[in-house]
Amino acid sequence: MALEVNIDGKSVSVELLSKEGNNHQIAINGNIYEVDLVMVEKGVYSILYKNKSYNLELIRGKVPKTYTINTLYNSYDVDIMDAEAKYLNNRKHDDIDDEAVISSPMPGKIVKIMVKAGDKVKAGDTVIIVSAMKMESEYKVKKDRIIKDVLIKNGDTIDGNQPLISLE
Amino acid sequence: MIKKVLIANRGEIAIRVMRTCREMGITSVAVYSDADRNSMHVRYADEAYHIGPSPSNESYLHIDKIIDAAKKSKADAIHPGYGFLSENAEFSERCKKEEIIFIGPSAFSISTMGDKITARRTILNAGVPVVPGTTDPIKSNDDAIEVIKEIGLPVMIKATAGGGGKGMRLVQNEKDILPLLRAAKSEAKAAFGNDIVYVEKYISSPHHIEFQILADRHGNVIHLFERECSVQRRHQKVIEETPSPLMNPAIREEMGKHAIAVARAAKYEGAGTIEFIVDDNLNYYFLEMNTRLQVEHPITERVVGIDLVKEQINIANGKKLTYTQDELSQNGHAIECRIYAEDPDNNFMPSPGLIQHITEPLGFGVRHDGYIYEGYEIPLYYDPLISKLIVWGKTRQETIERMKRALYAYKITGIKTTIKFLERIMNAPDFVNGNYNTHFIEKNKKFLEEEDKNDGDGKAMAIIAAFIDYTNRLEQAHQKIPPRQKISNWKSSGRKKSMLRL
Repeated sequence: MALEVNIDGKSVSVELLSKEGNNHQIAINGNIYEVDLVMVEKGVYSILYKNKSYNLELIRGKVPKTYTINTLYNSYDVDIMDAEAKYLNNRKHDDIDDEAVISSPMPGKIVKIMVKAGDKVKAGDTVIIVSAMKMESEYKVKKDRIIKDVLIKNGDTIDGNQPLISLE
Repeated sequence: MIKKVLIANRGEIAIRVMRTCREMGITSVAVYSDADRNSMHVRYADEAYHIGPSPSNESYLHIDKIIDAAKKSKADAIHPGYGFLSENAEFSERCKKEEIIFIGPSAFSISTMGDKITARRTILNAGVPVVPGTTDPIKSNDDAIEVIKEIGLPVMIKATAGGGGKGMRLVQNEKDILPLLRAAKSEAKAAFGNDIVYVEKYISSPHHIEFQILADRHGNVIHLFERECSVQRRHQKVIEETPSPLMNPAIREEMGKHAIAVARAAKYEGAGTIEFIVDDNLNYYFLEMNTRLQVEHPITERVVGIDLVKEQINIANGKKLTYTQDELSQNGHAIECRIYAEDPDNNFMPSPGLIQHITEPLGFGVRHDGYIYEGYEIPLYYDPLISKLIVWGKTRQETIERMKRALYAYKITGIKTTIKFLERIMNAPDFVNGNYNTHFIEKNKKFLEEEDKNDGDGKAMAIIAAFIDYTNRLEQAHQKIPPRQKISNWKSSGRKKSMLRL
């Protein structure tokens, strides 16, 4: 069975053709790779391809089926697009298009909330300031909006990707 | 004699100080906030005291709580590390009052050097060059022309109320003096409501070079040569090296003497650093003095062969310096790379989080000062510095090659780090040729941000690894057998018995 895999926003089709011990035969968009693959440490894969040695660090994302993968020189965002992921992704896209929530991509602490529910804000207004590791980041709205709800309070510690403020 | 030291700090520097304490047979006492119960410095220390909530102003910056922990633990001395309370005159004074030895300078030295104007005055009296310029406002057009001619072009016209680059004009030609003066004044007026400006010599390609000094209570002062710290991002040092590729022996000796003069003028005691701004022609000017141990102190330790923390403790014990100036020399070359928990692909956004896996580089000439371990969660309350890689080599070229090898072997997963960015700096021609100043990162921005096109089949391998990881996890999930109900061995053996009886 072929699976759809997203790498840095581009979609490719991946299929496992055969597997014998560590030897895998894998097709990516029809190109066949014969690799010797072992998970050597937690989150670290060693791959031998044409006798060249590759070390890949796999960081599993907060959302299942998403990975950040570091090779020697590069870092890739990889998403496995199974049926469930596709469904969720479609729904998430609706949310993003609508810009219904403002969230911070990193964990941190709420320094200042500049708005309250019902406030009208103009494009470019700062609505919230989050601090992490002595650095403060300001989050702004991109369009003229109305604040629907403030989901956190001053001084709260937040996780990455946690919704902070919802917009109408 | 100091027998027990409380380290009023956390992270890699706390551990670095404790290592020397252990060597000297001194008991080390850690302090920790709520967020740091799991931190390595608590595990490494002989004793540890809780000092309050995670935010540093309620713990590591809270003088009363630190003093309280020192008294409870009966520590003879406090080592402040760098940052936090290390340059706090009030803290130094308080320790003195409580009869606890502060491993650092007196309150007098800290406040003399902490205030820019008193520092400038003290330094001028000691005969050390400072950036030429006026400290009085420009009164008129004629005054401006006269003053600027005296200083010599290029100059910077700066608003006294300035900040963020506003009200600042660079003057390179004489005919531009008046128009640019007017522009600076009107911009300053609009931005700050104050159009007072002054003039300072413009250093067009500044190098940041600092000198390490040690001073004892008996009037002996020595310098331990320079550190080149020009690789900076947003005024934050990224890479340091010694010796500086810019330096020559004559200037080194002269600057060293001036560094010693600064320390004497400040009545300094302990380890300190004199920072200079240096132009391409090796004209140098005093910038400021750091009255503490620096983050980058290990490169000096490596090249000069002296444990600076050990010297700090000896000085605090009232001993004379172990070395005289004549006994010191620089052996080989050392480079330090600072590894930050920041995402270089995303405008260096902080990246706190859980360390899933770490492999530290080893091998000849490599020193690693860090504090994270597998399964440790980096708290979001403190500095993003996670470790320092200090590499030594016989020559500068060998040191760069060794640093590349060490960075190649350094693997941290779970968070984003600047390791990749540092590797690119090691490959940047300007750095390799030693031809750089504080504009280095800006100038080489494109090179440093560019993805390596020559990743070979790396991308395909990344897809394969993710695909296999996902399918294996899927298989494991299917294979999981629902846990059987646990039956006590007594019960099952009883049942068996009754069966057999039948």
